[in-house]
Order: sequence, then C-alpha cells, then structure tokens
Amino acid sequence: MSTRTADAVIVGAGVLGASVASHLARSGHRVLVLERGAPGREGSGTTAGNLHMQAVHTKRPGQAVPLDSARFLPLQRAASDRWETLEEELETSVEVRRTGGFTIAETEEQYQELRDKHGWEAAAGIHTEILDGDAARAALPLLGPTVAAATWCDLDGYANPLKVTPAYLDSATRHGGRTVAFAPVRRITRNGDGWRVVAGRGAAERVVDTPVVVDVAGPWLGEIAAMAGITLRMTPVAIQMHATVRSSATMSHLVQHIGEGLSVKQVTAGNLLIGGGWPALSMDLAGRSDASLDSLVGNVALAVRVLPFIRDLRLLRMWAGPLAATPDEMPVIGEVPGAPGFYVAGGTYAFTFAPLWGETLRCLIEGKPPPVDVSDLGPGRLMEQWSQEDNGPEQENHQDRRSKRC
Amino acid sequence: MTAEHSAATYGEVVERDVVIVGGGPAGLSAAARLASAGLAVTILDEQPELGGQYYRRPAPAVARQWGDHRPEGGRLIAQVRAAGAECRTGHLVWGVEDDGRTLLASDDAEHPVRLRARYLVLATGAFERVFPFPGWQLPGVTTPGFAQHLAASDHTTVGDRVVLAGSGPFLLPVACSLIELGVSVAGIAEAGRPYRPSLRALGTLGHPARLRELASYAARLARARVPIWQETVVLRADGRDRVSSVTLAAAARPARPVRTVEVDALCVGYGFRPQTDLARMLGCQVRVDVASGDAVPVTGAAGRASRADVYVVGEAAGIGGVHAAKARGLAAAHDILTREGRSAVPVSEARRMMSARRRLARFTALTDSLYPGPAALLATLAPALPADTVVCRCEAVRAEEIRTTAAGSADGDLNATKAWTRAGMGPCQGRECGFAVAGLVRSVMPGRGVGDGESRVEIFPSRLPVRPVPLATLLELAGPESQKGDA
Repeated sequence: MSTRTADAVIVGAGVLGASVASHLARSGHRVLVLERGAPGREGSGTTAGNLHMQAVHTKRPGQAVPLDSARFLPLQRAASDRWETLEEELETSVEVRRTGGFTIAETEEQYQELRDKHGWEAAAGIHTEILDGDAARAALPLLGPTVAAATWCDLDGYANPLKVTPAYLDSATRHGGRTVAFAPVRRITRNGDGWRVVAGRGAAERVVDTPVVVDVAGPWLGEIAAMAGITLRMTPVAIQMHATVRSSATMSHLVQHIGEGLSVKQVTAGNLLIGGGWPALSMDLAGRSDASLDSLVGNVALAVRVLPFIRDLRLLRMWAGPLAATPDEMPVIGEVPGAPGFYVAGGTYAFTFAPLWGETLRCLIEGKPPPVDVSDLGPGRLMEQWSQEDNGPEQENHQDRRSKRC
Repeated sequence: MTAEHSAATYGEVVERDVVIVGGGPAGLSAAARLASAGLAVTILDEQPELGGQYYRRPAPAVARQWGDHRPEGGRLIAQVRAAGAECRTGHLVWGVEDDGRTLLASDDAEHPVRLRARYLVLATGAFERVFPFPGWQLPGVTTPGFAQHLAASDHTTVGDRVVLAGSGPFLLPVACSLIELGVSVAGIAEAGRPYRPSLRALGTLGHPARLRELASYAARLARARVPIWQETVVLRADGRDRVSSVTLAAAARPARPVRTVEVDALCVGYGFRPQTDLARMLGCQVRVDVASGDAVPVTGAAGRASRADVYVVGEAAGIGGVHAAKARGLAAAHDILTREGRSAVPVSEARRMMSARRRLARFTALTDSLYPGPAALLATLAPALPADTVVCRCEAVRAEEIRTTAAGSADGDLNATKAWTRAGMGPCQGRECGFAVAGLVRSVMPGRGVGDGESRVEIFPSRLPVRPVPLATLLELAGPESQKGDA
C-alpha cells in the first residue's frame, strides 16, 4: 500500500469536519477527510439543525451541570454572524432560516431566569425581548395558556443539517480537498514531527502522512484521540428526536423552554421536530442507539402543553443519536497539549458552531489569531494529568463563572 | 424522567398466552387452532374486520346483493370467534417496548393498548411492490391490489377500460375480477415471459395440478379475448385530469415505446413484499433474499424466528400465496402447542401437514421461476427511469435527485440517500418507494449491494412508530398528568 501525504487529515465527515475541510481547502491546504460511514450520517445526521443564538439555557433531562451561558453567548454572537453569510460563502442554499425564536417560561422562577439570561444576552450584543404570557401568545397564537413569559430573539433559526454538511464538503472538493467515505481510521501514530494515519482495511487500506490531524469525530472524538495515545474525558450521551407528520398550521419560529427539555420547530416540508435532549434508551456507539418510549412520551407531553395544536398531529418518526459532550458541558476546541499538530473540536452545539469552529481551527492550524478567544476551551482541561496540574487555576475560574451564574 | 411519569403505568394492558398480529389467512389459521386447544389467544388487525387482504369481508350491502366472494374466509373467521379467541379489530400495532416483550398498539378509538404474550405470532402480511413511471401520480393509476380490494369489498371498479401491468401471477385473478364486474380489460402487460408460448400453454406445463388455478384464470381471460403482452412494461401514463392512455415498452428496452393504449384506469404492480417492520423491530434476524432484494425473516420449519418466542407466518415470512400462508399459520400453532405440552396433533396429521407445506413450497418455487425475479427486473427498470419521474410521492423526490445523491455525497448508501433526499421519509415510511429507491441507488453504484456488509442491506431500517401514531394516543400513555394545561 503506497503512502500518501496531506497537509491535514480530518477525521470525521460530520458538519464540523466538513466545515474545517472547506476552510482549510479554501486557504490552499491539501486536505483529506476520512469518514467511517457515509458523510454526515452520524451525529450530524441526527441533529435537529437548530441555530441557537439566544442563551441555550435548556438543560437536557438528566444533565448534571448547566452550560456556562455567560461564557457561551459571545461565541454564539460570533457564530450567528457566520451563518449570515454562509450560503454566499458556499455558493448554495442550505436552507438557512433566521425567523427568530422564543424561549418560554411557565413559572415565576423560570421567569426570573429569563430576566437573568436577557441580561447576559444584552452584554454579549445579542438582542432579545422579554414578553409576558399574553404578549407572547399575541406574537405566536399557537402558544398554550401555561406560557407565563417568553424571550424573543430574531437571530434564532434553522439550517438543514442534511444540506450543510454536503455543501461544505462540496466546497472543500472544489478547492482540491478529498473526502473518503467508508474509511474508518484504525491507527494514528507519531511520524517524525507529524502523524501517520491508517484507515480502511485490506485493498481499501490507506496510509497518509500528515503534519496535522483534526479529530472532529463527534461522539467518537475520544476514541480517535485514544488511537494517538491521547486520553480525553469525553462523556458522550445519546438523545432522541421526534418528528410529526406535516402540519397545516404554520409555525415559523423556534420554540424552546427555559426550565425543561423542549425545542420545537417546523421544518420546510411542514413536519414538526420535537426535541430537547431527552435521553435515549441506550447508546450504542458501534451501531444504532435505541429510542426510549418514556422520553418520547415525556417530550411529547411537554410539547403539547406548550403548543397545544401539536396534540392533533401524528408521530411520524423518532430516532436516537449520540451527542459529543464534555463533563463541563462546554465545547472543546484546540490543539492537544503535548501532541503538536493534533487538534480536536466538538461538544456542545457543534451544529450552531460549525462555521465558527471551522474558521477557528484554520486560524489555529495556520498559527494565526482565531476570530474568538478559545484558550479556555482547549482539550487540556479534559486530560487528567493536565487538568490537575497545569490547568488547575483555569478550572477554578471556570467554576467561578458558573457559580456566579447559578 | 421521574417515576410518576413512567409510561408503564397507563393504558390498557393485555396479557395472553399468544398474541397474533394480523387477521389474514395465516393469522386466522393459527388463532383457530390455538384457541380451540384452550390457549388464551388475542388476534389483532388494523382493519375494521378480520380477513386480511385475501379474505377481505365485503361491505354488508355488497354481501347482501352480490354474496361473499370468498365464503371460506367468513367460515374461518366464525371458527376463530367460536373457539374463543379475542378478536381486536381496528388495532394498529405501532411499536414495541420493554426490550421487545411488549407490543404497543392503539385501539379503534385510538386509545393505547399494551400487549404481552408468551408467544407472538406475526402474520403481518405483505404490501404491493410498486415501481414508478412518468404519470403514475395521475388519478386512475392504481395497483392491482387496490383494484381487487375495491372489487371484493365494494363491488366497485377502478375504471371502465383498464390495462393491468407489472409482473406476477396476481395480475390474472385481478383481471378476472374486473371482467366479472363488466370492466373492459384492454390487456395485461407482463414484464416476464411466463406464458410460453401463450396463456393457454399454462395448463400443459409439467405441473398441471399445481398450476390449475392459474390456468383457470388464463382460460377465462382467453375466453374474454384479453391480450397478454409478455416482456412488456409501462413506459408512461398520460392524461390531463386522469389517466387517458398508457404507453408500453419492451422490457428489454424499457425506454422505447411499442404500443399506446387508451384507458381510464391503469393498475401496475410487481407482486408483493413481506411486511417485516415489526419482526425487525422485535430484533428478529432477517436475511436479504437475492432474487427479490427483500428482507425475509430467518425462520425455522414451523416459522419460529431467531427469537424463540416469536413466530413469523404467512406472507410476512416470504411470499407464498394463501395455501402456504394457512399451512404456515397452522404449523406455528402446532409448534406452540407442542412446546406447551398440549399437542393433540396425531403424528399422521403432522406428517401430512409437513408434506403439504413442502408441496406448497415447491409450487411457490415453480411459480416464482416462471416470472422474472424482482431484483433482476429492478436492474433493467431503474436505469431507464426518466430523470424527472417522481419516485417518492410523499416527499416529491425525483429520480435524478436520488441518483445524484447516491452517486455523490451518499456514496452508494441507501440510508444516506434517504436522509439527504427525503425519499422514503413520508407517511408511507418508504413502503411505496423503497424498492425503487434501492434500485436507483444500486444502478448508479453497482459495487455496493446486497451482502456487502450489514450496513448495505438494501431496505430502510424499521423504526418506531411502524405507522404514524396519534400524539393523543401517546399522551394517554403518559397518564393524566400530561393532560394538564390543555386549552
């Protein structure tokens, strides 16, 4: 088997891999994307495709720690700007719809959380409005009587995940990049100053020497890093989504819940997607995760309470998919300390962040300053030996921010 | 998720010795035998009456005026009821839970029902194999099965002048039913060449007895002077508000027109595909049948699936016709009774049944060998399908889009093609277009096919719900808590 070379090998043709491939290829790098299955079919194939621009305060049912919204929002602001120009950049439609969204509250306590969140949003330059229940229902009459208040953000939206990944990959291809599907990476070894990546088996085996490996394998991020001898404390979870048949009613806004696991939106075809991070019955990283009936029923009951018109629809489909998650629920992005040329990116809201992380990784790889400061989001904090010794103080800062927020 | 939310607490729960899903010939045969042996049996069917497609009950008014086209079906249903089996019609089984130990259904008022049994008999039947062509969305274009259904249960015709097309023995009885109702059958286009040299020759084949039924249909069609165009397929249907003509082509050159026939209805079908969603959802192993490209449950002689408490019988276990379906239903019933130590089957009867089943299997193989294998047909038809033909009607996805995606970003993967084009994502869950989508994917990526690893099995995966289920039914599963706050 002959050995090829590439300027960068990207492991995983999900939305992040596709984005970084496109960014690097457009910048003149020879990139090779290796995908174990069909591109965009794993985590990125099961996402709802929400563009979350107001604070994503929603906790998944069972989630241990909340997201650090105050830290997260400036990143969301930067991500939002990039979605604005994405279709132009990729020269194709990926069904970006910025039709705005509501985050609703049902209790007085949740109402207070809305007000807190509104403050952080204002500080990050994300414009949101607080509406009382009646004003929210006047704006979206489909909202039910239990809605006590809502924030409105006109930057929220949706893009079709099944179009975004292929569009990025096409853009990479146009600039000389290559994507190889059904080529699972099997070995990553140090090779001089760079890396040697072996993928596929038998006649389909390929060996690539490269100075840069970008591990964007989503829920499998930890497994891939382990091949290179890097231990990252990732905590992937499987969550599920529910789709109804097409509805004749039109709801052009994303609806989320501030205190419970709920996100609802209508896709272009007319189906409603109901999610909110409800846990799947099982997570099977090697095969298909099983959806849970309890989660289905719980999620649907919540959706019907907030949006009663949904009650008259039928459930068309449900599916479960793994989600890359970190113990602190914050994204991970950066070069692995002690493993020069090995970059990782993933974790929370990778879809919303795909355009931003693609650009950020390109800058990091090229040694240029990234568009946003990600120095506290590096993989070091997920490595036992680093988080305990070198990154100790940073961890504390992180905790401080959270305790202020809660 | 808190305990008081637990879905396990609400909805009717049914516990039986045996639950049979599907009230057609196979399910009814099993139910009659098991219930009369004293087991607690529930038989479910999604239709308002038992009988399935073959023994479909005529509407009462139709039965009074025209009689019952298949009285033996009525007798079998009466037998099942008399034996004490609980008959639940209007019940849709839409999922499983509890690691496959519980079936989830909704009753005729769409209330949820959970069913548990020591033995599950899946007699879920088959659905028609369709393949698209330009104009197949026109009113008046339907399937042979639908035409038969209208004729049998409503004594109604699909049109006055009809062409039947597709492949398989089923086209003949449908043509006969239509003729009986006074329809002018302008012709039958059969993709293969089973009737060599002509229809009449059927009766003189090496197995006259086994083909007697087929030959009798053939004789009736010959008397009615119905032309049979062999090795002929539909090229397209035309019409303004409704189909007004069909253009046919030679099967070997499916893009070149050879004949245009004026019609007001067109029925096209390529036989049947086993309905295996539930078996697959229960974790029963399936294999891909090379000749048809269909998923077929792996079963033992008595229909026992890879899960010991599950039996798959009738057409769901592989297309074999009504006699085979009944024999399989009985065989499963006897196997269950034997395991229960209740076998009242004399050895001689068991032997007789075994040899009957073998005979029927040989007959099925013989009939199958007359007609072209669906997988081979697909390999000819799929590449010839015009680019702008709508393949998935639910989601309006055209052939070209499927080809481009399959050859491009989906890299020959059926499910990736589905995800990216939405073909197969509509309310029919891909039952209509699945065969064609698989054919289009394979036609552009021939290297990726059956047997090329598990992920390449060319059927859409089975997902909950098996059929779209009302959210209101799910809410009832959640219990009264979830009803709070409704306007």
